[in-house]
Amino acid sequence: MNYILSLLPEDNVSDWGQALRVHGRDVFEQTGLPTPKLERFKYTNIPARLKKMDLEFADSDVSIDGDTGFVRKLMEHMEEAPDWLKQMAQQIPAGAQQYQDMMLWDAANAYFRDGLTLDIPANYEGDKPLNITITGHADTHFVPRTFFVAGANSNFTVIEYHMGSGEYWNNRVTQIHVKEGARFRHYRMQENSDRSVYTQNTHIIVEEGGTYEAFVMTVGAGLSRNQVHVELKGAEAACYLNGINLLKGDQVGDTTITVEHRAESCISKQNYRSVLEEQSTGVFQGKVHVHKIAQKTDGYQLSNSLLLSERATMNTKPELEIYADDVKCSHGATSGKLDAEALFYLRSRGIDEDDARALLIEAFLSEVVDEISCDEMGEQVRHVVSRWLEALKPQEDIDL
Amino acid sequence: MINIKNLHAEIDGKEILKELDLTIGNGEVHAIMGPNGAGKSTLSYVLAGRDGYEVTEGSAELDGENLLDMEPEDRAALGFFLAFQYPVEIPGVQMTTFLKTALNAVRKARGEEELDAIGLLKLMKTKCKELGINEEMMKRAVNVGFSGGEKKRAEVLQMAMLEPKFAVLDETDSGLDIDALKIVADGVNALRAKDRSFLVITHYQRLLEYIKPDVVHVLADGKIVKSGGPELALELEEKGYGEFTASEAA
Repeated sequence: MNYILSLLPEDNVSDWGQALRVHGRDVFEQTGLPTPKLERFKYTNIPARLKKMDLEFADSDVSIDGDTGFVRKLMEHMEEAPDWLKQMAQQIPAGAQQYQDMMLWDAANAYFRDGLTLDIPANYEGDKPLNITITGHADTHFVPRTFFVAGANSNFTVIEYHMGSGEYWNNRVTQIHVKEGARFRHYRMQENSDRSVYTQNTHIIVEEGGTYEAFVMTVGAGLSRNQVHVELKGAEAACYLNGINLLKGDQVGDTTITVEHRAESCISKQNYRSVLEEQSTGVFQGKVHVHKIAQKTDGYQLSNSLLLSERATMNTKPELEIYADDVKCSHGATSGKLDAEALFYLRSRGIDEDDARALLIEAFLSEVVDEISCDEMGEQVRHVVSRWLEALKPQEDIDL
Repeated sequence: MINIKNLHAEIDGKEILKELDLTIGNGEVHAIMGPNGAGKSTLSYVLAGRDGYEVTEGSAELDGENLLDMEPEDRAALGFFLAFQYPVEIPGVQMTTFLKTALNAVRKARGEEELDAIGLLKLMKTKCKELGINEEMMKRAVNVGFSGGEKKRAEVLQMAMLEPKFAVLDETDSGLDIDALKIVADGVNALRAKDRSFLVITHYQRLLEYIKPDVVHVLADGKIVKSGGPELALELEEKGYGEFTASEAA
């Protein structure tokens, strides 16, 4: 496909929106798509996948239900955009220069138009989640922009569903602002078409005493890049970034996380589990950056992977960068095979090999799945896990 | 009826079992004693079908069917059970889930009706009570954080639920104090039945004070070198295994 993006025709995007597009396009024309020559994209070759695809730009197919009262389409704001939206949209996340990983964000800015905003008022207590479904259609390239603002002391949950068919590229930018004392739970069930490319750029700011809780379930997309950048800006802010990746075939699943502790007494926890079958590839790059001011930081990062096939690959790169002297930080990563002893023990009790393997894989995932505090999401994750495991089992012969 | 004939098995090309013959009638309890390295645990793993043990000759039939031709799960379905010397810890798999999956797999293979969650809990409760097992253990992950005694009791619990025709107890006494040993032995004794045979593998005579065998065999250098009544165990306790290991050296 053609990487040189052209500007959209004149529409009522407003001056500031248009300026954002021009800037995005100009920067992207210089950087191009991220290649594996860049440190942050070493294991994930996005251009190689995209160049085989022939895509046309389209607006995204998004539907919402549940607690939808505070949702608006991005274009509805264009005439008189609130200041917060302009500021957020124009924001260049801290650290962007250092990591050289913002080119997909700039590419998305060039198409600034499609998307939605969620502006949760202060003190609002959501009693049911907002469900957002994004459906990919064959041969399209879409760029849904999302802004979530959780007002002070609010409590809200968003569940995203990603699905589709055929070849497409969803290049999505999501910005989240969790204000003082708010709790924002953000779940994603990613079941995109296995021929699609899904690049997700998420930037989160958490203010004093706020909590951001995320769980990402990656089962779909031929190539997915889940790039997350969190800034814990106020004291006692917290973020929990958990997820599981179930990959097979030629799938590539990349999770790249940067958490910046910019204030005292903040908590960040990352806990990921990956199961890789056939020749799939997993990537986990997690970085915890503790700034000098961020004393009493509690940072934790863990990535455990299970390789079911000799041909599967897991690339793990945990990093800690600490400038404060009174912190508690730990990280760990493991990659291994199913425990042969455990497998034999289960089989010796009459459980057949396929069921025994499924039981052990579910057990491996259960530690993070059990941590999901939203029952609705927990149920769905368990369901998708068992369906994925069922599909791994050899099909019984069918008499014709 | 268990019929082991001319069994030869090796690990990494090294022959461990050499022409082992053993017949156990229905309802009988046999004990195998022997020095370290005689092949006791190899025999139990070969019968259970663990990877890495190659049978080069012979057969082991349970009611006329050769276990050695079967996958481990099919042996269990047929009625073979191994109580492990070192039960494996499986984090993340709850005891209840494990027991339900195992029991229903075996019941299904035997053409019996599968149990629902309530039926299973009822059965589990009854068996736990009989074996003096705290039901709280059933909420924990398989063998994780269990004491030595709890692990062995959990093995007996599994045996009680799966109702095998032939159970092998591999050094079930290892790591148990006398109280734990009694509880485990009582559990096994409660399972003795005219259609169920046992093979108790042990290094020490102590266990056989609590589980009284009909026949005692001495296993040395991969074969049965002597068989006798329960008195043979006492004799071995007194004299040790010297005469059997010496013959190898000579």
